[in-house]
Amino acid sequence: MDRRHITPKGDKGLYILDTAAWRTVRPVMDKEKCIECGICLIYCPVNSIVADGEKKYKITYDQCKGCGICAVECPKGAIDMVSESDARKENR
Amino acid sequence: MGKILEKRMTLTGSNAAAVGASLCRPDLIAAYPITPQSEVVERLADMVNDGKLNSNLVQVESEHSAMSVVQGATAGGGRTFTATSAQGLALMFEPYMRMSTLRLPMVMAIASREMTSPETIWCGHQDAITVRDAGWIQMYCENNQEILDMMIQAYRLAEDRDVLLPVNVCYDGFYLSHMVEGVNVPTQEQVDAFLPVPKIDHAVLDPENPFALDPMTPGSLLMKYRKSHLEAMRIALEKIDEVDSEFGKHFGRSYGGAIEEYRCEDAETVLVTMGAMSGTGKDAVDLAREKGIKAGLIRIRFFRPFPKKKIKDALKGKKAFAVVDRNVSFGWNCGAMFVETLAAVSDSAENYSCFPVIGGLGGADISLKHLSDCISRLEELKDESGRHATLWLED
Amino acid sequence: MSYINRLKNSKDLVTPGTSACQGCGGELILRRVIQLAGENTIVCIPPGCMAGAGAVGWSFDSGLKVPVHITLLTNTASFLSGLSQMYKRKGRDDVNLVAVAGDGATADCGFQSLSGAAERGEKMLYVCYDNEGYMNTGFQRSSTTSKGSRTSTTPLGSVISGKEQNPKYLPLIMAMHNVEYCATASPSHMNDMVKKIEKGLEASKRGFAYLHVFSPCPTGWAYPENQAIQIARKAVQSNAFPLWEMQEGKFTLNLENKNPLPISDFVKGIGKYKDLTSEDIEEFQNLVNSRYQFIKGLSEIS
Repeated sequence: MDRRHITPKGDKGLYILDTAAWRTVRPVMDKEKCIECGICLIYCPVNSIVADGEKKYKITYDQCKGCGICAVECPKGAIDMVSESDARKENR
Repeated sequence: MGKILEKRMTLTGSNAAAVGASLCRPDLIAAYPITPQSEVVERLADMVNDGKLNSNLVQVESEHSAMSVVQGATAGGGRTFTATSAQGLALMFEPYMRMSTLRLPMVMAIASREMTSPETIWCGHQDAITVRDAGWIQMYCENNQEILDMMIQAYRLAEDRDVLLPVNVCYDGFYLSHMVEGVNVPTQEQVDAFLPVPKIDHAVLDPENPFALDPMTPGSLLMKYRKSHLEAMRIALEKIDEVDSEFGKHFGRSYGGAIEEYRCEDAETVLVTMGAMSGTGKDAVDLAREKGIKAGLIRIRFFRPFPKKKIKDALKGKKAFAVVDRNVSFGWNCGAMFVETLAAVSDSAENYSCFPVIGGLGGADISLKHLSDCISRLEELKDESGRHATLWLED
Repeated sequence: MSYINRLKNSKDLVTPGTSACQGCGGELILRRVIQLAGENTIVCIPPGCMAGAGAVGWSFDSGLKVPVHITLLTNTASFLSGLSQMYKRKGRDDVNLVAVAGDGATADCGFQSLSGAAERGEKMLYVCYDNEGYMNTGFQRSSTTSKGSRTSTTPLGSVISGKEQNPKYLPLIMAMHNVEYCATASPSHMNDMVKKIEKGLEASKRGFAYLHVFSPCPTGWAYPENQAIQIARKAVQSNAFPLWEMQEGKFTLNLENKNPLPISDFVKGIGKYKDLTSEDIEEFQNLVNSRYQFIKGLSEIS
């Protein structure tokens, strides 16, 4: 593609880093303890927690960095940080 | 032209710059005062506050912000203007270089002033010369009519789709900025016919068409942007002549393009000048001619891009030349214009007798006697080829 | 609408994969500000953590789904002034003009341009994420770094230990610029932060709106990466970072702590404070107390 290289512009797409590869631990929700309050969602710096419907919060793992803020902030202790390699093996 | 008559006014150089800029209908003007440019922003403020000029006038808190504010406005698709001198130009250097490397067109007037230290406020070309490699187009005016006219030509040049570079219109501090001359002021209709409504749309930040303006750039890609910038400078050299010629058709005045040649056809010796000193230089040439000396003068109008081919052609067949610099190039025992002129004739340099001249720094006068003495010295040395000692124009 | 619903339903307009550290306060703040501002927004981000993390794009790609420009460290507010003026002139006042800048760009290098833009009342929302240092370049100190902090330019040496000066209190300085809206916020108190971002966006249609947000930095401050919200909460609870806002000259203290957490509890577990002596902590406590009393006083008399 011949770009005339006039003003430097980033207009092709979005630069997305594979941050899932950083994880050594991952958060896993225990839905039995979860009260669907949404606190985990509001504090996730990566927006990896989404509302699947009106109040069904779930963690997505495409970009989660495994920081553990959600686990610390959950008022019910419903999120555990588990080993990433184990989780991948078990497909959790 | 027909029945539209220009107005004849008496204007200082700075006032002429303001009037010229106002006729170009800038969307936004950043205003910050510095001697000897302050009158530019004052006259524009008068026009805006009296409802005669529909521009957003932003009273910034420093020249660094002046250049930043116009940069933001141009990135919003606007035609912008500001003015500065010496210390202000130095202060705004960071966004100044970004204006050209982002390829955003605008016009900035520079009332040429010496760089401190020693402490000074007076005329010198050191300010714009020092930033000659920041990627802007830079030109120097000889008189107030040219200042006004060049504001209009500069926007046409800057916004040309094959150029897209900001332009400096420089004029000598105090010698032109504060001097009153008779100037023909075109009508708004005349300028509107020559200068199209701005369509700066190649890089506009707009939520309707989102992109990142200036992402982090790897070196291999950065080089391509630089190459394109150099190419735009090369194209600008051609456009300078085209715009000047078009201007001539519209307004009945033109300036000869990137350089002006005065009585050079049969000249043996040539003075190379830039800016207001050129008027004095032409008088010195006339006096010499009366005495039978075949002297001529080349006035460099555009310093960037440097019109090397035109200078080489203009000097062809001449015996000797002296370049009068109102600046110094630290590290070379001469001024910047001498270094570049010599580079332009580099493949035939041994055929010439030449010497650099340095004078008029910090507001000192470049007098008729000074330039007549240069011509006399050229006459003495014209058959001794090679580079001769630097001549300092002292009293 | 509750703030949780507000956040749940707003689109994330930042690239999903930035190189911000795990548990970065700045990334949280950036995402919240931009998702609340929405698609009709132009963002300016100076060099710093968020720019370095990829928000401003790389090569031919962008880092945001809205227009973004990496301004110079010195001129975010003045560049945005020019853009704001141009949008006003084009009759497009609906477009949000937002700056998300670190404390280095805001309090130090870009302070002059910030002050100028605020004094002129330029229409924009300027959000400062204050992680108390130039974190992107390797956590060097800034003028908002608290006294005694270990930074790479104020190391805990045997002769001089930590930053020797108290920080300048930037939010109050900005409030004194006659701005349309000025507030402090902390990501721990998300309800309050969401309200203030929205108030700021609304005020930016009428003039200069400034938000100073507490941004914990796990890498620079040296604490475990899951503690950001805990630390931010303690900062508010100890009055080290009081939550207040100013509108039309009227100051409001948003949260009054009946029994503030002692500063000695706040600094526990934060590596950059590890060499604070008990005298240092007492001085810190006194500073926090007097600053809190000052703001409380302002809220009572204005």
